[in-house]
Amino acid sequence: MTGRLAARWALPLRVARREAWRSKGRSLLVLVLIALPVLAVTASAVVVATTQVSGAEGIDRRLGTAQARVDVSPDIGRVVQGADPDQGALITEGPAPQRPLDAADLSRRLGGAPTTELRQSQARFVSDDGAAPVETTELDLGDPLTRGLFDLTSGRWPSGPGEVVANQALLDRLGLAVGDRLEPAAEGGPSPRVVGVAESTTVRSSPVAAGPLGSLGIDTSGLRSWLVGGDPVTWSEVRGLNRAGAVVVSRSVVLDPPPADQLPDELGVTGTTDPVIVAVVALVVAMVLLEVVLLAGPAFAVGAKRQARSLALMSSSGATPAQVRRSLLATAVVLGSVAAVGGVLLGLALAAAAMPLVQRLSASWLGPFDVPWLPVLAVLAFGLLSALLAALAPAVMVARQDVVAVLAGRRGEARPSRVSPVVGTLLLALGVAGSAYGALTRGSELFIAFAAVLCVLGTVLLVPLVLALLGRLARRLPLVVRYAVRDAARQRSRTAPAVAAVAATVAGVVTLGIGASSDALESRSTYQPSLAMGSGVVTPGWSETGEPLPGSWEAAETVVERALPEARTTAVVGLGQDDGNSYTEVSRPGSSVPVLSSYGSALGGSELVGDEALAAAPGLSAATLERVRTALADGRAVVFADQTGDSDTVRVRVERVEDDGTTSRVAQRTLPATYVAVGAATAPAQLLLPPELARELGPTRTVGLVVDGAPIGDAQEEAVSEGVAALGMQGSFYVERGYQADDEDVIVLLVLFALGAVLVLGGTLTATFLALSDARPDLATLAAVGASPRARRGIAASYAFVVGFVGAALGAVVGLVPGLAVAVPLTSQGADGGWTVEGGDVVSGAPPVTGPFLDVPWLLVLGLVVVLPLLTAAVVGLLTRSRLPLVARAA
Amino acid sequence: MNAAGTAVLRLDDVHRVHGQAATEVQALRGVSLAVYPGELVAVMGPSGSGKSTLLTIAGGLDSPTSGTVCVEGRDLGGLDRAGRARLRRTSVGYVFQDFNLVPALTAAENAALPLELDGVRARAARGAALAALGELGIEELADRFPDQMSGGQQQRVAIARAVVGERRLVLADEPTGALDSETGEEVLRMLRARCDAGTAAVMVTHEARHAAWADRVVFLRDGVVVDESSPLPPTALLEPSLR
Ligand SMILES: Nc1ncnc2c1ncn2[C@@H]1O[C@H](COP(=O)(O)OP(=O)(O)O)[C@@H](O)[C@H]1O
Ligand SMILES: [Mg+2]
Repeated sequence: MTGRLAARWALPLRVARREAWRSKGRSLLVLVLIALPVLAVTASAVVVATTQVSGAEGIDRRLGTAQARVDVSPDIGRVVQGADPDQGALITEGPAPQRPLDAADLSRRLGGAPTTELRQSQARFVSDDGAAPVETTELDLGDPLTRGLFDLTSGRWPSGPGEVVANQALLDRLGLAVGDRLEPAAEGGPSPRVVGVAESTTVRSSPVAAGPLGSLGIDTSGLRSWLVGGDPVTWSEVRGLNRAGAVVVSRSVVLDPPPADQLPDELGVTGTTDPVIVAVVALVVAMVLLEVVLLAGPAFAVGAKRQARSLALMSSSGATPAQVRRSLLATAVVLGSVAAVGGVLLGLALAAAAMPLVQRLSASWLGPFDVPWLPVLAVLAFGLLSALLAALAPAVMVARQDVVAVLAGRRGEARPSRVSPVVGTLLLALGVAGSAYGALTRGSELFIAFAAVLCVLGTVLLVPLVLALLGRLARRLPLVVRYAVRDAARQRSRTAPAVAAVAATVAGVVTLGIGASSDALESRSTYQPSLAMGSGVVTPGWSETGEPLPGSWEAAETVVERALPEARTTAVVGLGQDDGNSYTEVSRPGSSVPVLSSYGSALGGSELVGDEALAAAPGLSAATLERVRTALADGRAVVFADQTGDSDTVRVRVERVEDDGTTSRVAQRTLPATYVAVGAATAPAQLLLPPELARELGPTRTVGLVVDGAPIGDAQEEAVSEGVAALGMQGSFYVERGYQADDEDVIVLLVLFALGAVLVLGGTLTATFLALSDARPDLATLAAVGASPRARRGIAASYAFVVGFVGAALGAVVGLVPGLAVAVPLTSQGADGGWTVEGGDVVSGAPPVTGPFLDVPWLLVLGLVVVLPLLTAAVVGLLTRSRLPLVARAA
Repeated sequence: MNAAGTAVLRLDDVHRVHGQAATEVQALRGVSLAVYPGELVAVMGPSGSGKSTLLTIAGGLDSPTSGTVCVEGRDLGGLDRAGRARLRRTSVGYVFQDFNLVPALTAAENAALPLELDGVRARAARGAALAALGELGIEELADRFPDQMSGGQQQRVAIARAVVGERRLVLADEPTGALDSETGEEVLRMLRARCDAGTAAVMVTHEARHAAWADRVVFLRDGVVVDESSPLPPTALLEPSLR
């Protein structure tokens, strides 16, 4: 079997090898087209695999020389873990099943194994410009079990609890040197001396400090961890320790995981790949494959024509059509395998060369150089497959060629297939229908992507038909253009794939472009200002435990006055219990449905006292403001609501969440109220209270500082921002400037255009220069009848324009369909999922429905369809030698 | 080789029409012809008279519109495309005016081409090709590529390819047309020698001088045989005593 296969392919491969060598330019073109994606994917796969430190690779970094690490906490109720708990564990909080294990219990359970305690946390230490977070570890660095966690690079290991080692990143960040002391940002912590530089084997670029127990003042709130030596810890020992409330990372279990049926079912199947990711990867691979095939296709088509006589001679010597086909496919086998293997080798080399740079950019230490063989083999197969697919159509065509005509010196391009336009129309129709269906269905972006691929495939099959039609319309064009159009139409085997490559690229770019710019339009249209245009507000920052920091309002006011002497500042007063652990419910009496579905707190709080700050609230009409003022003056609460109802009282409840998760009621009042409907706009707050009612609900305090009455420039904004951030309140300053176009939106379109431009340019240029070399005999004839040398340039430029323009126009039209379709689900909000109506309350209704927003980036389309082809034609015109060939042909 | 009934090539009332209706061209109009083993038949006639068409039909590269073509007693009309391809690998060899060789193959490989296409192992095929080149006295060309050979050398290699593997019918379309007269004579001498060894050959030529090498000359005009010189049966030619 293999012998016969080899015999069948021996001759074609020999011919192909030599043909590839004879036509170096074309072979190089194919090699580059195929090797580039192979190289890119290989290199990135290697970099990713090397960057990811797998469980086995990283085990020394995690355990040092220990056999296991055991974590015990009084809060852990039940533990169900996988082989590596970091990749799958179910840890239920609650009272421990028994007295938490201690070191002695642990050692006894594991056959007298030595243990050493380990504590890890994060702490802030004083730096030149404030405080920096540091990853801290307390452990006995002299214990042999901990060897391999830290590498000493200079100085010495700590010899007592007042000493620690730190990594270089810490010294750089905190501006310290060996011998200095670490100064804790919080009060009362220890202040150890750094006696050596030691690098963590895991973390590279963020600050790390390590020292003996107690040296860094780590409080793990009950969590205790040990490294355990002795014999390997078995899976059954791990399960036993789990039952005692411990989480275990065992070296032997991680390196040699138990079979799946011994793992707890509760963890579910881990490691399955998300089908969405698989689908997206499949889509991307399909599109890249299509591009490569279409770009390399013309080279094979020209090669087939060059070899037409050789192949006809083989036919006259008795070659069957299959043997003729094989001869051309063998070229693809030769070039494809050289490109694939070369691409992989170059990719590996590139990855190896890039590794130092990757290491410099990475926050952690990379693993050993790691080649993921499966993806690399897949990409190898991809290279070979793309070459074969690119050669398939020319091979089939050349096997159908008219042998007698070729031998007689006539050029016989085989008749165009009658099936492919039909299939193309069918695919296009399916794609359009799929897009339409996708547009009407929720969450169907991926579905539309598949429909888009169908559209593109259909277009690819329709390109020859379009070219043929174009050839018929060329009669009135000037000679050089007419020649180019006719040539494009007649030499479909090389023109069609190039046009299709351009069309596929442009279709993809237009689809993505419509999606991106529609998304941007949605953001712009649904933008909700937080403040009245041009106003600003200072609000305090939050502490690490989630409480608003006490405001230093006088200082903040000074900062504002210094930067904006003209501006007016107004303190915003709010209910004071808003400490992050309590919340206020506002509902109609007898109902528990909140009167507002959403509200902002841009002014510093959502339950405000008085009306001073309201001038800075956005979107309130003068009449509404007047009504609000009157109500507050009358001693009534003002309630912002989705809809006004007929009640004139409101129930306000203040609830507090305790540490144990229970809630307790701080206050509940039913107050006289005026309701203000806000419709689709976001309310500036949920509740406004006159001071006398506010007092009933608890203390009040300043929550923000409104700045208005003077224009706030960028420089002033920055000055105020920096000034208030430096205060104890770590405040921030927000200025309302309306919708600000996201830089990203523009960048996305630019990147899309660049990507499209490169592919369009590449496809057009390769096709044009292949066409020029193919058209030598015709150009020689033109020269013989007296065509001016410029004609060659004109023809080349016209041909380039035809390929670029026809491809881009087709692609733009086809890309519109899935583009508009995908914009619909992408920019529609809140079509379902309404509110449950409770207690017959009149207030109900879904959140406002917005969208869809459709925006076609016409500039992008124009650039791709008109500007780019003209540009390419100009480039071709400049690059083409104008001398016409004088010798007609050689076989 | 002496029985008149075992013609290597027999055409019987062969018509070939190209195109349809208005653009219809009658390339051959009722041509009958028999070629016997050891016979070299020259075909002459003005341009467009159907000479090339005759040869393409004789080797199964083209099919007649009507009439029958038999090679070694087998009716080509009964063969499919694959069968006709097999016939060219085993029974019929072509030599064209120029560019006869596959540029990517050496002389020996070109000569071995029909055998290799027929599934003969490369080594055995090379052996047969070297033998054919040797018989034609050009074995020193074996490992040269076509672009390293003169036109006459290329034509000789083409003849070697046409006869390799004991094929009995050579169809040559102006094999000397692109050569100077001396080289042309050389190539014809070679072809004559093959025919004397038993091969049958049909050769299109413009030059009466070259036709002199033939046993018989067939004149074509507008697709019809208008004259046949030396109408003697080949047996008579081989055995002058019978005359
Ligand atoms: N494929 C074809 N289509 C149309 N006419 C053809 C074709 N092949 C040959 N002919 C016509 O058939 C006639 C004979 O051609 P050919 O056999 O090549 O002549 P010769 O070789 O004697 O010069 C010519 O008139 C030629 O124009
Ligand atoms: Mg002819």
